[in-house]
Amino acid sequence: MEYSSLLFIYGFLPASLLVYAIAPQKLKEAVLLALSMVFAAFFGLKYLLVLVLYSAVNYSAAHLTAMLRGKLAPVRTVPFALGLIFDFSALFSFRTDMFAFLHEPLKVTSAFFPVGISLFTLSAAGYLIDVFRGNVMPEKDPVRFSLFIMMFPKLFMGPVLTYENFTRIMDNRRFNLSRLGSGLSIFISGLAKKVLLADNLYMLRSAVDSCDLGEISTVTAWMGAVGYLLCLYFTLSGLADMGIGIGCCFGYRMPYSFNYPLFSSRIRYFTSKWHIQVIRWFRKYITRTLSDAVNNGLLGRLMFIAAWALVGVWYGFSLSSALWGLLIGIAITVERQLISPKMMRSTGIIYTFLVTTFITVFLSCDSLGDSFRYICAMLGGNRLLADQLTGYLIRSYIVIILIAMYAATDLFRNAVIRLKDTKTGKAADIISPVVMTLLLALCTALIAGSGSSGDLIIRL
Amino acid sequence: MKLTKKLTAAAVLTFIAAFSAVTAVGLVSSGDSPEISLDSLSDGSFGRSIVSFAADRFAGRDALISASARLNSYVGESIVNDVFISDDRLLYVGSNDIDCKTAAQAVNRVNNGTEGAVYVAVIPTSAGIYGDSLPAYLNSSAEKQQIDAIYSALDPDIKKIDAYSILKMLSDNYIYYRSDRKWTSYGAYCVYRTVIQKLGFLPVSYDKYSIRHVTDDFHGDLYQRTQYMRCAPDLLDVYRYPGGAEVVDCVGVDNDGIAHPCSLYDTSAAAEGRFDQLYLGEKMPVVRITTSVNNDRRLLVIGDDLAPCFIPFLTQHYNGITVVFPQYTDVSVENIINDNDCEQILFLFGIDSLNGGISK
Repeated sequence: MEYSSLLFIYGFLPASLLVYAIAPQKLKEAVLLALSMVFAAFFGLKYLLVLVLYSAVNYSAAHLTAMLRGKLAPVRTVPFALGLIFDFSALFSFRTDMFAFLHEPLKVTSAFFPVGISLFTLSAAGYLIDVFRGNVMPEKDPVRFSLFIMMFPKLFMGPVLTYENFTRIMDNRRFNLSRLGSGLSIFISGLAKKVLLADNLYMLRSAVDSCDLGEISTVTAWMGAVGYLLCLYFTLSGLADMGIGIGCCFGYRMPYSFNYPLFSSRIRYFTSKWHIQVIRWFRKYITRTLSDAVNNGLLGRLMFIAAWALVGVWYGFSLSSALWGLLIGIAITVERQLISPKMMRSTGIIYTFLVTTFITVFLSCDSLGDSFRYICAMLGGNRLLADQLTGYLIRSYIVIILIAMYAATDLFRNAVIRLKDTKTGKAADIISPVVMTLLLALCTALIAGSGSSGDLIIRL
Repeated sequence: MKLTKKLTAAAVLTFIAAFSAVTAVGLVSSGDSPEISLDSLSDGSFGRSIVSFAADRFAGRDALISASARLNSYVGESIVNDVFISDDRLLYVGSNDIDCKTAAQAVNRVNNGTEGAVYVAVIPTSAGIYGDSLPAYLNSSAEKQQIDAIYSALDPDIKKIDAYSILKMLSDNYIYYRSDRKWTSYGAYCVYRTVIQKLGFLPVSYDKYSIRHVTDDFHGDLYQRTQYMRCAPDLLDVYRYPGGAEVVDCVGVDNDGIAHPCSLYDTSAAAEGRFDQLYLGEKMPVVRITTSVNNDRRLLVIGDDLAPCFIPFLTQHYNGITVVFPQYTDVSVENIINDNDCEQILFLFGIDSLNGGISK
């Protein structure tokens, strides 16, 4: 039951809001946990079991780590390390074939995938590290800690919060009609990103993928690459927005994960606006730790690039995705060291978009060889500028691509802010409930056939 | 600002509540629900089935799909629910993974275990014939290749009927429904002409048939998937041969072995809007037909949903015809052959239903 399924929008969401609304204040978190467990159970009891096990292991490991102080301090590494090993073993076993031999004895089919495992693994590991470092006290309340792992609004796409931020959000709950309105608006915007834009762009990319890489024309290859980048952005940010919107409906205001990264004027701005909490997680727990270990400038820069390669591994668990991360790291380093800010002022947006489009090819292709062949096609290596398919794709998708590119910029948001106190702004404010309802109706029509918008370009 | 947010909450929640309530009333009144078991709960298949169950019964679903099809015809590719909307027809473009080897092996096993002669006709879908209407990347010759792959894996003594070439050559005619994957009665007749010659008979010429349009308002499965109203409805025809052989007896046998009377054309079902039951009536795993043809020739047809409108043409040549639909029975194809001793066996399958039928 994805967020973008009819059953969720018209069944689970209103029902859970109703149950949550009538629950006593003291029991609201327990009710939210129960709802999250029901939500997880829709993906199978095995999935629920994974989440419960994750919560129990990390809860226990954190408490044991914190308990072992004084003379026993050297031993506290053991529960901490065991907790981390459990988290990352589970992540590797589900996202790679490394532990495939365990699937049969555990009666887990290869099709089984605990959605969001990449994200709640980062959350759990970050929490354990913080407890080990003494930055946070271990959570006593098992209900709240379980929510940290499996709260359904943040289960699919995060945000990956530090435990400190999570408790701050939980403590500042405001469950009222105004916040419900905000939440529904964010949810519908996310739904529209996924259903109206990402799903169409996914079809564009699928059309390009069905071609032989050796025969694909240059323009078609570019359309496929741009389509993939936009699709990836709208899928991830759409799901993230839906989650944030649902959280907001329940009174919890979580931070945005994406802040219009695609048309940034620097690659480092792009990375600071892309999957914000995930990138911050890697910066906090990997990059800074590595940087602290080495003071040497060149070695430090290499460490920085290596940390980005790890981000790439996290996205795809493949050589291609590692190279994607590596190239992002190199691009940021080159930008800092070699490219003058003056030059970036005039060409920064185009430069950043082109570089990210090229680099993301490594995330989009099945293998490293395919990635290079695809880039070769983009550079005109197939000696075919355009063909019949190009014309068909342009006719079919040009409107979607232009809308998607506009939606990927912050122009609309800035216009809304600028017009906030003007007559136009107030008029737009008045019609926004109607616009949101129409947008929901439109998305409902588009998912009515299959019942959900399930096409995911990446599984995290 | 706060007022706007409250109004948004009120408007959106009212919209959601209205659809939820109407859908819930529909679900309660229908009384059916997906089957629940520990296994289905455990592996998540219950969750998936309940999502599609709710979607199928969602309030105003047909109108919503229709709106979505209209929108897709203006913006983006004209593909709705794996159906491509072309200028004059709907074409299925969803995944069609056929295990050619397994299908051929199943027929070979039958061929080795019977003394009767085995004939095979694998029929392409409308997308296989009208692929030229599809965009280049979807217009692959996959169906032709799949049929060739099956035929080349069959034993040499099995007679193969090249239905693809016949239908492709006649593609300007009304051989496939515009709104369905299946062939029309005329499409079936065109293939019949070749099949019956392979079986050792002369075909009945087209002008000897009296053709009646049962309806000109048939909306097929592709229409149901898209609700695309600009696709013209189809004609359903009944072919009768005045002065030809009559059907003496026609019974359908269900999975419990109980016989039910049926007919070649159930026009009363069509009159009530059950167009899928026009040919051979209600779906039964086995249909036994006895005709007034004065010979002892018996034919066993193992087929799928394409077979019912093909069978009436065969009744002019055989005294006894047994039609078996493997998709409606759990009995294997080999057991079916053993129970029905026939001198000729015809496999008549659509390329898209091979895995669920012939390979059982």
